[in-house]
Amino acid sequence: MKNRLVTSPLLIIVCLLVLLGGCSSVSAPANSATEAGKPESTAEPKKGGTITIGYMDEPDTLDMYKSANLAAAMVGSEIGARLFYYDPKTQDVKPYLAESYTISEDWKTWTFQLQSGVVFHDGTPLTAAIYKQTIERALDPETASPLGEYLFGAIQSIDAPDDKTLIFHLKKPSAQLLTNLWEPAVTQPVSLAAIEKMGADYGRNPVGVGPWKFDSWKTGESITLVRNEGYQWGNASVKNQGPPLADKLVYKFIKDSQTMIAALESGSIDIAANVSAKEMKKYKESNEVTVLERMKWGSSFLEMNTENEILQDIQVRRAVNMAINKDAIVKGVLLGEGEIAHSPLPSSLFGYDPASAEYDYKYNVEEARKLLDAAGWTVNAQGIREKDGKPLAVELLSWDAWTRTSQLIQGLLKEIGMDVKIINLDAATVVDVAGKGSFDMALMNYTDNDPNALSLFLHSSQIGSLNHSRVHNKELDALLEKGSATLDKDERKKIYAEIQRLVVDQAYWVPLYVEKEFFLVNNRVQGVTLEPMYGFGLQDSWVKD
Amino acid sequence: MAQYLWNRLAAGLLVVFGISVFTFALVHMIPGDPVRMMLGQKATQEQVEQVREQMGLNKPLVEQYATYVTGIVQGDFGTSLKTGQPVLKEITNRFPATVKIAVSAILIAIVVGIALGMVAAKYKDTIVDRAVLTLATLGVSIPGYWLGLLLMLLFAVKWKWFPIAGGTGFKDLVLPAVTLGVYASTIICRLTRSGMLEVLSQDYIRSARAKGIDETIILFRHAFRNVMIPVVTVVGLQMASLLGGAVLIEQVFSWPGIGTLAIDAIFSRDFPMIQGTTLFMGIVYVSVNIVIDLLYGFIDPRIDVSQQKAGA
Repeated sequence: MKNRLVTSPLLIIVCLLVLLGGCSSVSAPANSATEAGKPESTAEPKKGGTITIGYMDEPDTLDMYKSANLAAAMVGSEIGARLFYYDPKTQDVKPYLAESYTISEDWKTWTFQLQSGVVFHDGTPLTAAIYKQTIERALDPETASPLGEYLFGAIQSIDAPDDKTLIFHLKKPSAQLLTNLWEPAVTQPVSLAAIEKMGADYGRNPVGVGPWKFDSWKTGESITLVRNEGYQWGNASVKNQGPPLADKLVYKFIKDSQTMIAALESGSIDIAANVSAKEMKKYKESNEVTVLERMKWGSSFLEMNTENEILQDIQVRRAVNMAINKDAIVKGVLLGEGEIAHSPLPSSLFGYDPASAEYDYKYNVEEARKLLDAAGWTVNAQGIREKDGKPLAVELLSWDAWTRTSQLIQGLLKEIGMDVKIINLDAATVVDVAGKGSFDMALMNYTDNDPNALSLFLHSSQIGSLNHSRVHNKELDALLEKGSATLDKDERKKIYAEIQRLVVDQAYWVPLYVEKEFFLVNNRVQGVTLEPMYGFGLQDSWVKD
Repeated sequence: MAQYLWNRLAAGLLVVFGISVFTFALVHMIPGDPVRMMLGQKATQEQVEQVREQMGLNKPLVEQYATYVTGIVQGDFGTSLKTGQPVLKEITNRFPATVKIAVSAILIAIVVGIALGMVAAKYKDTIVDRAVLTLATLGVSIPGYWLGLLLMLLFAVKWKWFPIAGGTGFKDLVLPAVTLGVYASTIICRLTRSGMLEVLSQDYIRSARAKGIDETIILFRHAFRNVMIPVVTVVGLQMASLLGGAVLIEQVFSWPGIGTLAIDAIFSRDFPMIQGTTLFMGIVYVSVNIVIDLLYGFIDPRIDVSQQKAGA
């Protein structure tokens, strides 16, 4: 008996060492590949093969007008096409399914000429009437489209006088509508004939006009798309305007992040989507894997309830802005892989004001303390400030993705004598609770392709909804309305510059950071790019072997 | 016998009813609004209210529960909030994958567990016995999640023998089935070993040996049959819990079974799906247990199930 007790732990340790030894050598290939020399990139693009993408979520439905799910939009963007595409270099929308377009002088009548020869995967030709039906369906309350109103709400009525001409009559001028029309997935035309034929099953048998055709959906496992041989209407953003080169495109749902990396290493997938900065860093030097990165189209911020007794004082809000060391948060939370947010708009979005880097609040604890002193908050024996016997104490709503950020903020605000209690909820509850205004501070983020997203968060009409800070500022309301109704690019830019200056000055939020997204691509697949906002550019990609 | 079966079924129904009440209550206690989650940030408050009404989520809880139970009795487990598909359809879509992995894991566990257990008993207190026991201790103490990742790194990443998240074919089955089988096999191994040691020291075995009967026959025919009862119990219990979805392992291997379905449902606050999967797992667990109880009588005729009180 005594003997067994001695040998067993020893054996366990030996076994563990053997196992760990086997395990630790696994991460070696990336390094050894670096030493082996550069990958060949001279090979000619060729047809065939399968591109497999690992993604952590499964779409709810592929009926784009019934979903607000990012996984669905990503797959849907390959199955469908839209009126415009976005050119990040010029920040312009450019023709895709719309050959050309004109906008009337009052900015309220928009006329599009559709490309001819575009056909759906089921052989139905794309006509202006189908586009009209698509949008009317999205706006029909019976469809219960989560994004329909947000995307097309500005449209009063639609005409389709002939197969190629599509006319929107707007309730009021809307710059955002133009942006929405390049949204990669959710403004694509859908064939009502196909929807009628499939009925409730349409969401699992979608029909579009895009480069990839839906093939199959194995629940919990994968979605497979095949090349649309008839695709000839690719846009000018890509070299290959015909059918894609690879035969198949497979999306595999892998929820566990470590499994995702293992699947990439083993060759089971070619692209690992949305990997963490920590994982990404291991592949920076790799010759077998290419790292792709994209600045998120949205930012992360701390919102303050301006109706709160403590936070209604602009001096306190400014002090909070100065006490938060964003640089430390970017380093600590994002491992340095991200940008400091200077204004409520991310630098990737149209309308971002570069001057905000100059005029935003700089980290300055001394100045913050002075502001609080001047506002009448004095430090008590516990190091917490007080005013009229009431402590400078607030609650901060947070969810699991914010754990480290909220803790850092708690520590930083302690420095100026502010007591922060972190309340952890889930994301949907934070949105709900904050919407009702029963909170002090909350961490929040958004993703959008138009600066008018700020209307959702800061226009007084949105109090009770996404205007959590309960901002009621007439000047800001007027600017936001003007910004959403101005189609002239330069003029619009100026309006958003004013908006950003005003929001920063009023310190409703503490803009925190803009995250980066990382994607790992096995060099077996060449030519993969990232689309603006979300999704992959696969039109010029091909499989090497 | 029939009376016993009825009693067991009644007790099983009571358990299932308990599970349904409990999960229903629990699910509604989780903070988070499933409708807001589904429609996203940008949907208007009116839309959220409208959908909530459509789905009956604004009704009193008792009424919601009554509707739910009435549905279940009619074979309607509700509709998934996420996909809009019937819950039962999604569950039956995923269940074969779980059965596949559970059966394979149990087969591995039975073969490996019994073999190792018998070898250890036969060579008691030798190096062989100690090695087996050490392996068994390791097997039972290594977290399945970790073992799964380890096997994946070795056999899929390093040696590329098996794919990862490839589907549900034979090659895809090996790693998750082995991972799951390890735990069950260690329990079976220990039970077999201790049971065998006890039986092997009994008089009738000594008599058999004295008569010069072949050792293999003694081991398998005379001794092993008497060890089977505890082994069958454990196999049954393991089978029941594996059929309920090996949640973590399915997640690690992206196996499209009931386990990943349940996790997904929890993360998307898909109330009907969480209730449906939990209830389904409960029904499977209870049913397998009843079957195991009935099996005892066949394995060991000395056990007369009809003489036992219900629920025993």
